[in-house]
Amino acid sequence: MALTARAGLLALAGALVVALLAPSWAGVAAATGVVLAALAADLALAGSVRALTFSRSGATSVRLGEEAEVSLRVANPGRRRVRGRLRDAWPPSAGAVDDRHTLAVPPGQARTVVTRLRPARRGDRHAHRVTVRAVGPLGIAARQGSHTVPWTVRALPPFHSRRHLPGKLDRLRQLDGRSAAHVRGQGTEFDSLREYVVGDDVRSIDWRATARARDVMVRTWRPERDRRVLLVLDTSRTAAGRIGDGTRLDTALDAALLLAALAGRAGDRVDLLAYDRRVRASVQGTGSAELLPSLVGAMAPLEPELVELDARGLAGEVLRRAGRRSLVVLLTGLDPAPLEAGLLPVLPSLTARHRLLVGAVADPAVAGLARGRGDADAVYGAAAAERTLAERAHVTALLTRHGAEVVDAGPGALPPALADAYLDLKARGAL
Amino acid sequence: MSTSVSPDARTVWRAVRTPALIVLLVCAAGIVLALARSAGGPPLDPRSADPAGGRALARLLDRQGVTVEPTYTSAGLRPAGATLLVTDPDLVDPATLSRLAGQAAHVVLVEPGDEALTAVAPAVSRENGLAVTTREPGCALAAATAAGPVTIGGTGYQARRTCYDGAIAQSGRVTVVGGPQAFGNDALGEQGNAALALRLLGERQRLVWYVPSAGDPGLAGGQESLYDLLPGAWVFGAVQAGVAVVLLALWRARRLGPVVTEPLPVVVRAAETVEGRARLYRRAGATGHAADALRRASLGRLRGRLGLGADAGPQTVLAAIAARTGRDVGPLLYGPPPEGDAALVRLADALDALENEVRQ
Repeated sequence: MALTARAGLLALAGALVVALLAPSWAGVAAATGVVLAALAADLALAGSVRALTFSRSGATSVRLGEEAEVSLRVANPGRRRVRGRLRDAWPPSAGAVDDRHTLAVPPGQARTVVTRLRPARRGDRHAHRVTVRAVGPLGIAARQGSHTVPWTVRALPPFHSRRHLPGKLDRLRQLDGRSAAHVRGQGTEFDSLREYVVGDDVRSIDWRATARARDVMVRTWRPERDRRVLLVLDTSRTAAGRIGDGTRLDTALDAALLLAALAGRAGDRVDLLAYDRRVRASVQGTGSAELLPSLVGAMAPLEPELVELDARGLAGEVLRRAGRRSLVVLLTGLDPAPLEAGLLPVLPSLTARHRLLVGAVADPAVAGLARGRGDADAVYGAAAAERTLAERAHVTALLTRHGAEVVDAGPGALPPALADAYLDLKARGAL
Repeated sequence: MSTSVSPDARTVWRAVRTPALIVLLVCAAGIVLALARSAGGPPLDPRSADPAGGRALARLLDRQGVTVEPTYTSAGLRPAGATLLVTDPDLVDPATLSRLAGQAAHVVLVEPGDEALTAVAPAVSRENGLAVTTREPGCALAAATAAGPVTIGGTGYQARRTCYDGAIAQSGRVTVVGGPQAFGNDALGEQGNAALALRLLGERQRLVWYVPSAGDPGLAGGQESLYDLLPGAWVFGAVQAGVAVVLLALWRARRLGPVVTEPLPVVVRAAETVEGRARLYRRAGATGHAADALRRASLGRLRGRLGLGADAGPQTVLAAIAARTGRDVGPLLYGPPPEGDAALVRLADALDALENEVRQ
């Protein structure tokens, strides 16, 4: 049960009556008795909350930063009208804009209330409880009760870097032989024969076809298709570090989505693996049409775990999954300790069978700290930052020596830089 | 199209009317309450024109040539040779009352309690209450026989000499009056009230009219708590208001469903370890380590600038820099670690200057 302000005001009016008309214990007892009797009567006459039935409909997923609407249908099978307040409770990060509604459901009818959600974080948001407060006809007391009405809204990664996609796709089309420029090199494959036009590379003239035909024929080439790309996300403790507004993992997800969109368009097959000490998420063998939705769905509930990366286990998992030669894109924080201890010993076996591209999220704050001068605090900060940068450079050099490629950039710059590295590999036919 | 969000008159009125109505009701109730139980000051106050006040009597006595001395405190009271009227003897400390009564030539006590009687007039004892009504003298007291029937009542007393069914009792120099009602402004004109009063109080040339009041050092120590002194209406009104406060608290305390909790992600800034290392350097005074890191970083950039490989030795680097700038920077790049923070700051600035010089 619950009271309303009117109950207190009624008792307060009783105080005036007691003071003016009956200043005695009997007067107090009478006034309080009247108030309590009114409360009991109001409670007895209020509509039943327990009997209400609920059902939900509406959005099940929303891109982070956008708004979703979830409808809640309240049916009243009882004989009395249910009038009062309803709260559709969601966790704070679901960002329910206004979860309190005024409710008035006549007997035998149903009403629908709409709660708008604007999630503040990526991941699954579960509806908590629906609480209804049904006020009695006098409006001084109310029945209150809660129901569990399950519903989940998945907040998807925002994919901020999709604005880079058109530019990268342009570059891809140039590689692909669809526009005027032709690129030929290792790793490209024969596309078709066509007549020579002025400006074509004479080295691409196919003499045998020229002999058969009347005209001079040239071969055209296009980059290899149906390569395999395995995106590996490091979800260990270094991914939890906050850079600017988001974590390292957020940037890694963004970069992975851009790369996946690009590779999917280029005709390559993209798989996903998220790993720290065990597999956190995995997408395998998805067709190009469902690729992005399934990747986004798998990424949505990922959170950084506060554990050290098991780099040796990660390498083993990659080797187990990627049977054919693949481009393995490892998105990590470039933390020296776990990489040197875990990854370096198995790096040769990895790079012998696959091409490894490491995308590391750098912190612009460290670069800013390294420029600090003027007083002792700033200079010690600069020294510490230089030491950190030197360690990163050392790990980068080690990885490069073993045949891996490293892209080390800040959160805004990493997704396009990684896409460029992929396109360069594609152009060189090095996949 | 734009919409004004400032409240208009109708909105303001709607928002204000309920609180205003409540305030108005409370004020009206307060005024009614105050009028209904307007008690005025203490009874028989010689300056009060209230129905129960004593101003009319004081004027009358004054006109008859009696010097009336209204007093509100026992301090400095000198009733020697005068009539002493105590309007509320129960309020006065019995010892003080006894001392004052001893000095006065004639003492008139209005409705004294047992303690006051014991202290001043042990021969008088208190009886039952008497209704205020017209009574015959029925005794040989000169003042009473002269006044005839008067309207009097209050408390009845028993003594050797009593008049008006015990409403007036006399014992030696002390006269006890059963209640203040007979001498109030409103009742003074009835029957022989005025005559009785004048004869009782105007016996001597001087009348000391003592009204015990708050702040009087001679008052009896109060045994009553604040609760006893409050009128019953306030006490029970407050009890009922307490019930109302409990109900209002219950109204505010009841939430519409529980607070929803959720696990929050860990927020650690990625640069925090770097800053922590900087503070460690600072606290340990590790100028050597810090200078080493700065020199290595500068050397790395200088090698790139000068087109030297990463494995170029000190001699090669110094020779290249000397060729470019004409300076010997051996102590700067490969010298001993700086002593103290100031030297470290200077080293950092010197390294910056060198890099700028080489860049040009």
